Amino acid sequence: MRQLTTGPPRRRRLRGPLAVFAPSLNRRYVLTAYAFLIPAFAFFGLMFYLPIANIITNSFNTGPQANQFAGLENYTRAFEDASVQNSFTVTFIFGAATTIGAIVIGLALALLLNQPLRGRVVFRAALLVPYLTSVAIVGLLWRNILDPQLGILNRLLMDLGLPTQSWLNTHPLATIIAVTLWMTVGYTMVLFLAGLQGIPEQYHEAATVDGASPWQRFWRITLPLLAPTTLFVSVMAVISGLQAFGQAYIITGGGPANATDLYIFHVFNVAFTSRDFGYASALSFLLFIVIVIFTVIQLRVGRRNEVQY
Amino acid sequence: MAIHTPTRRDLLRWTGGGALAGLAAPLLGSCAGAPEEDSGSTSGGDDGGGSGGDFTVYWNAGHAYAAYDKVIAEFEEAHGVTVSFQKYQWDDLRTRLLSDFASGTVPDLVEEPGGWVQEFAISGDAVSLQQYVDSDGAEMGFPDDWQPRTISRNSYEGEVYGIQLHLTCMMLLYNRGMFDSAGVQPPTDWGSFLDVAEKLTGDGVHGFAMNQDDGYGWPWLLQNGVRYYDPDTKGLLVPHDAAAAALQFQADMAHKHGVSPVPTPGTDYSGPQKLLSAGRAAMIITGPWDLLPIAETSPDLDLGIAPALHEAEQSTVQAGTSLFVPAKAKSPDLAWDFIKRITALEVEVAATKEAGMLMPRLSWVQDPVVQENERYAAFAEGFAYAVDTSEKLRLTGKSGEINEQLFQTLYQDVVMNNTPATEALDRFLAAGQKVLAS
Repeated sequence: MRQLTTGPPRRRRLRGPLAVFAPSLNRRYVLTAYAFLIPAFAFFGLMFYLPIANIITNSFNTGPQANQFAGLENYTRAFEDASVQNSFTVTFIFGAATTIGAIVIGLALALLLNQPLRGRVVFRAALLVPYLTSVAIVGLLWRNILDPQLGILNRLLMDLGLPTQSWLNTHPLATIIAVTLWMTVGYTMVLFLAGLQGIPEQYHEAATVDGASPWQRFWRITLPLLAPTTLFVSVMAVISGLQAFGQAYIITGGGPANATDLYIFHVFNVAFTSRDFGYASALSFLLFIVIVIFTVIQLRVGRRNEVQY
Repeated sequence: MAIHTPTRRDLLRWTGGGALAGLAAPLLGSCAGAPEEDSGSTSGGDDGGGSGGDFTVYWNAGHAYAAYDKVIAEFEEAHGVTVSFQKYQWDDLRTRLLSDFASGTVPDLVEEPGGWVQEFAISGDAVSLQQYVDSDGAEMGFPDDWQPRTISRNSYEGEVYGIQLHLTCMMLLYNRGMFDSAGVQPPTDWGSFLDVAEKLTGDGVHGFAMNQDDGYGWPWLLQNGVRYYDPDTKGLLVPHDAAAAALQFQADMAHKHGVSPVPTPGTDYSGPQKLLSAGRAAMIITGPWDLLPIAETSPDLDLGIAPALHEAEQSTVQAGTSLFVPAKAKSPDLAWDFIKRITALEVEVAATKEAGMLMPRLSWVQDPVVQENERYAAFAEGFAYAVDTSEKLRLTGKSGEINEQLFQTLYQDVVMNNTPATEALDRFLAAGQKVLAS
């Protein structure tokens, strides 16, 4: 006799491999989460991971179409290539200088504009504007300003009775570092301002009551409590410094004589001037590894130095 | 009728379905391969006709003349196509083109700055135009009506891969007013050049302005008898001592004699033109592309054009653009018809009248528009001894790295950094031979 039941019929439990599709409550939540993540996975997969996989594959090939297998030849060549060593050195100096400069100048500006000054909002906005401007526009702007014959800066020096300068010839790397800092310190200043405003005033008041000088308060309270911001700024600055391209492409063309041949600009030339996409892919992947190593080291060292009061 | 309100589960199901479809569509689309030509494609038959669709042309941003607009309109009407006339600066055009080659979706026709035709013929990315030349050459006057040197620079293994569109050369442009005031005549060799430059230098004016672009250093090398590449000896910049002397002469103009400012590294080659226009330089070496900017910015400047200097020989750099058809272009027949139309003599003359551009047809040189214009005629005289510097080097397939990177470094090292030419040249030769051997 057929057993009569009330309520909805029970679903038959799936066994074996199909069991994973059984819609238990937890599994439904997991599937729901994955469903929401699929667009993000699709976007990152198509736009980032597939190109990265393609670059890794190409790095083992050679020829104009990067379709001839070359094994590890591109990698061994990279370690022996004097122009790669030069561009890496140039980029390392550029990255270190822009990182240190962004932190020091950005923090100094943030400390200054954290004071109750008249018009500080205007100053903050003015300092942020270069960061909001495209590197191409900034590059062209400074190229014209720095032009030794027709540039406004030398005209100013002449009017002041000072000798004219040719910065892009005499100090090309320092010049593009300075232009980069001019462009980026506004952003780091904003980050440090946010960090400064997150430090409770009581700490400073307590330290003042205990007789700490402003310098001591800065070293013992402000700087340690800004460690997370400093870590974030330094990681981002190192990454953008090692990936800088527009400064060389727009301002100096990598010259004179490769003095400003930034790594990504060098890779670009290998790919689109020499048409060696395999070698360019290997160089790109090597930079990726270098950036990962730098970032991991920074995160480990930075987090070790974080403090909480 | 009851309205079904979607449940949360429905929404989740639709979201998941949509996301899966979004992920699958491009993947499935990519598996479908290249689109087949449909009935609306621009593929030409024997009559070269089309029946709608786009015809993509990559062009230099500075060469989009009104004279060409008229040709494009007639071409569109004749074939029922829409020309997508895309304009780029040379560097951007190359980046775009190489990306297109990698993706397989290429334009129908490309204007190139000189040198790419042979490079892409060697790599298999340009289509041979020989069959079109064989059938239509006599009618359009090719190659008989083209300057002879423009044929070899666009050929590979005996077949024509490109047709010269513009033909230019570098000459010595000078400020006649300054020359008259100083009581000097245009120089004819390096010695007289230096004398004149020294007399014209002073009071905020330089006798000469060198260009930061290394291509502008080549007239000096050619005048000293230097050739970029000798296929017999496989040597670069031969003879070496003449190359070193030519480079050192240029460096000395800036660092020893002070008759030229030290060029500033960059990507802009208009610096000397701006100095000449501003009355800050008395002489520059450049091509006809600077005539229009000079006329626009300094209409009162009395501009003279002198023949190239004579040292070991009289020589200068030949330049100019060509047209080629990518190997995977979908409408080579139409592209050839476009080439025929845009290189017609009347179009060349119209472009010259409009923009001062120089052209490769021999009949163009004889045209009254050219003969009656002192400046065009002066440049046209240079065609007789102008040399395509890197033609033989290009045939090695290694010109990109040597010409664009190593030679640029050599030029900048000597002219900007004042490194002794022999020392910098040794480094160039060592690196260059390594590239040639690779």
